[in-house]
Amino acid sequence: MLTFLRQRVLSSAVPLVVVVLGVFLMARLTGNPASLYLPENATQQMRDEFSRAHGFDKPLLAQMVDYFSGVIRLDFGQSLRTGESASTMALRAYPATLQLATVTMVLAVLLAIVIGSWAALNPNGVADRVSSFMSMTAASVPDFWLAIVGIWIFALTLGMLPTSGVDAGALSWVLPILTLLIRPLGVLTQVVRGAMISALSAPYVKLARSKGADEYRVISRHALRNASPPALTVAGDLAVGLVNGAVVVETIFGWPGIGKLMIDSILERDFAVLQAAVLLTAVTIFALNILIDIGYALLDARVRRKVTA
Amino acid sequence: MTSFPLALRTGRSPAALSLAVLGLVATAGCTVANSSSNESSAQTGTVRIVLPQEPPTLEPCESTLTSTGVVVRSNITEPLLERNPTSGGLEPLLATKWEQSAPNVWTFTLRQGVKFQDGSDFTAEDAVASFDRAVNNSALACTVKGYVFDEDPLVLKAVDATTLTVETKQPDPLLPLRASFVEIVPAETSAKEKVREPVGTGPYKVAKWDAGQKLTLEAFPGYWGDKPGFGRAEYQWRDEGSVRAAMIVNGEADIATNLGSDDGAGDKGIAYPNNETTALRISTGEAPLNDIRIREAIDLSVDRDGIVKTLFANLGKPASQLIGPGVVGYNDALKPTPYDPHRAKQLVAEAKAAGVPVDKQIRLIARTAQFPKIAETVELVQSALADAGLNVKIEMLDTSAQLKYQQKPYPPNAGPYMVLVQHGNQAGDAAFTVDQYYKTDGAQSANGSVELDNMIDKAGALLDDARQVAFADVFKYQNEKIRGFVFIANMSGVLGRGDKVDYHPDAATGDEMRLSQMKPKG
Repeated sequence: MLTFLRQRVLSSAVPLVVVVLGVFLMARLTGNPASLYLPENATQQMRDEFSRAHGFDKPLLAQMVDYFSGVIRLDFGQSLRTGESASTMALRAYPATLQLATVTMVLAVLLAIVIGSWAALNPNGVADRVSSFMSMTAASVPDFWLAIVGIWIFALTLGMLPTSGVDAGALSWVLPILTLLIRPLGVLTQVVRGAMISALSAPYVKLARSKGADEYRVISRHALRNASPPALTVAGDLAVGLVNGAVVVETIFGWPGIGKLMIDSILERDFAVLQAAVLLTAVTIFALNILIDIGYALLDARVRRKVTA
Repeated sequence: MTSFPLALRTGRSPAALSLAVLGLVATAGCTVANSSSNESSAQTGTVRIVLPQEPPTLEPCESTLTSTGVVVRSNITEPLLERNPTSGGLEPLLATKWEQSAPNVWTFTLRQGVKFQDGSDFTAEDAVASFDRAVNNSALACTVKGYVFDEDPLVLKAVDATTLTVETKQPDPLLPLRASFVEIVPAETSAKEKVREPVGTGPYKVAKWDAGQKLTLEAFPGYWGDKPGFGRAEYQWRDEGSVRAAMIVNGEADIATNLGSDDGAGDKGIAYPNNETTALRISTGEAPLNDIRIREAIDLSVDRDGIVKTLFANLGKPASQLIGPGVVGYNDALKPTPYDPHRAKQLVAEAKAAGVPVDKQIRLIARTAQFPKIAETVELVQSALADAGLNVKIEMLDTSAQLKYQQKPYPPNAGPYMVLVQHGNQAGDAAFTVDQYYKTDGAQSANGSVELDNMIDKAGALLDDARQVAFADVFKYQNEKIRGFVFIANMSGVLGRGDKVDYHPDAATGDEMRLSQMKPKG
């Protein structure tokens, strides 16, 4: 297992460096952000001082060396916008995103297992058709529209929930999670349904039933376990999207997460914060991918044998 | 590897997982969603304000930035004097008197008994340090320097504890007006770095800033002036205008700024003239825009009445110049150019016959989300110009990219282009507009002439009625001889106001929202 983990770490390190390097270079392509941060009638001397103070006057290679040596020392530089440490800003925002993503994914997986299995037990039945319709709709509705409609119904019309913000305790979570949940739930339900239909018609399930196993045991111990790997693959992809920052939800609901921070940093050409935020999310995605691989090994004996070989 | 996930091993696992999820929500709720009070403003003596964006810092010398100034100015820090946005006159604040004691020298008599929020006394030394920091310090590069002061440094002197003299290189009749933009901070404030949470003399001080979530100010008990109506002020921020409006309708906020006409605030949305004017600024260096017939054709093609009525929902008025009524120098004899597409076509045809390359593509550059309906506005203009026979391509850019075309130095080889600008004259004097946009060496100028430069210089040295007349002539000259701008509208803003607050927006509200003017209702 350790060899497997070592290999995964090494193979993931390359894309990690490529991502960080890519963001560094693409940010520099947008030019010197002096216009955004200096007075309207800034003199050339002021522009030169600004560039010198922030290292933009150096050749690109020298800037890159400075950046990577800073990363090694965990010094990501200072925000042009707020004057704070870039890593402080990124680390302050990320827990909000991670909490939202974790709760959303756990709920999505649980609900998808229940609804998908229920639909698979009666293919083409009423439950299956209703769940398929809801899943397809959920997977197709844009986040933005859903968020605004959610505010209109639950906050303005029914008065049950706050429109946005994080001030109302657990109630603050409902609309952001509902908005985020709907798409992964729709996709995952369809995946679970399909995998469960295949699993339920497999010989080992028939054998289990013929041996007198009760239906709950057949579903949970035999069918669902074998239907899990494809669901895990899709859930992993969806989770990666969420931990990367739910920009729309964070923006509309005033959720102080990393997605909003990244967008603001792009718009304000706040390179240090952007780089710190991207590196943080890239490392998380890298860790998440390893967890998913371990999950495969736990679920699938064939993978487990390869891993432990 | 023989272990299996809990969910697949035990019959009770779904329930256990559900509990785990609930626990996770609860735990998360304790960290991000602080379960602080959702009490009404009346119970807590708190006014709740929702802004479009979080202030990057509360640095006083950056208070000409809207997102900073709307929180800082006259709330946390104060200037020596302030401009009344209604009358246009200057009123005493931390200075009680000011006079031009010599042609190049202004003397300010400072208020006694004023304390900073850290308990220290306000003296002339603090005023000297504040001016020095904001105007003379090129390392800090404060925006106030670019907005109201030129490159020449000020010579500052604390004559005694309550007397400040400010000497300028040239006689400057507008110095007191410029001084109204310099927020006063203690002399100990860093001159090397910008500050995030400043100390000032204002009626409120920073109580807590949960970065990304909320900024809370509380009344400063040692304030020298009248006590404000609310004990606390809470600022939050939401990007979406419709969400800000919903917070007002739902009673989650008392004041919401920068709303659009269709954001849904209903009768809680109050329209007010906001000092801003929208216009197309034409770069006259390249064909076909270097031909005045083409520029006149563009001007005639814009249906201002239609834009204001249909796109802006009658918020605003068709504009005839780059400033609005109430600003010194406004020429009320100028009328918005009438919409005349027929004449526009004729002019383009005439220019074409004279060899002007009218089919050369013109870039129409605008800033995404700069004001409500900006995308529709540029599309309408493009369509009208196409009808007139011009080839116009829209480019919607983010702020950073658009600023490259709005502020010098402009990109080389950019081709013929126009920029949709929105200009707000916060100072109330035309000099702050024409120096930037009309003088050929202005930081945001893309057209003009030597004759116009001379007119501006002469107008800038005058006072009172003569100044008004001279600047009015400047605006007339630009419209008739240069035609470097196509004015669209003197804009209006919409402020959301809840039922529990008594507050009336004025022309300065967008840039400087004074909490002391807000009172609990009833």
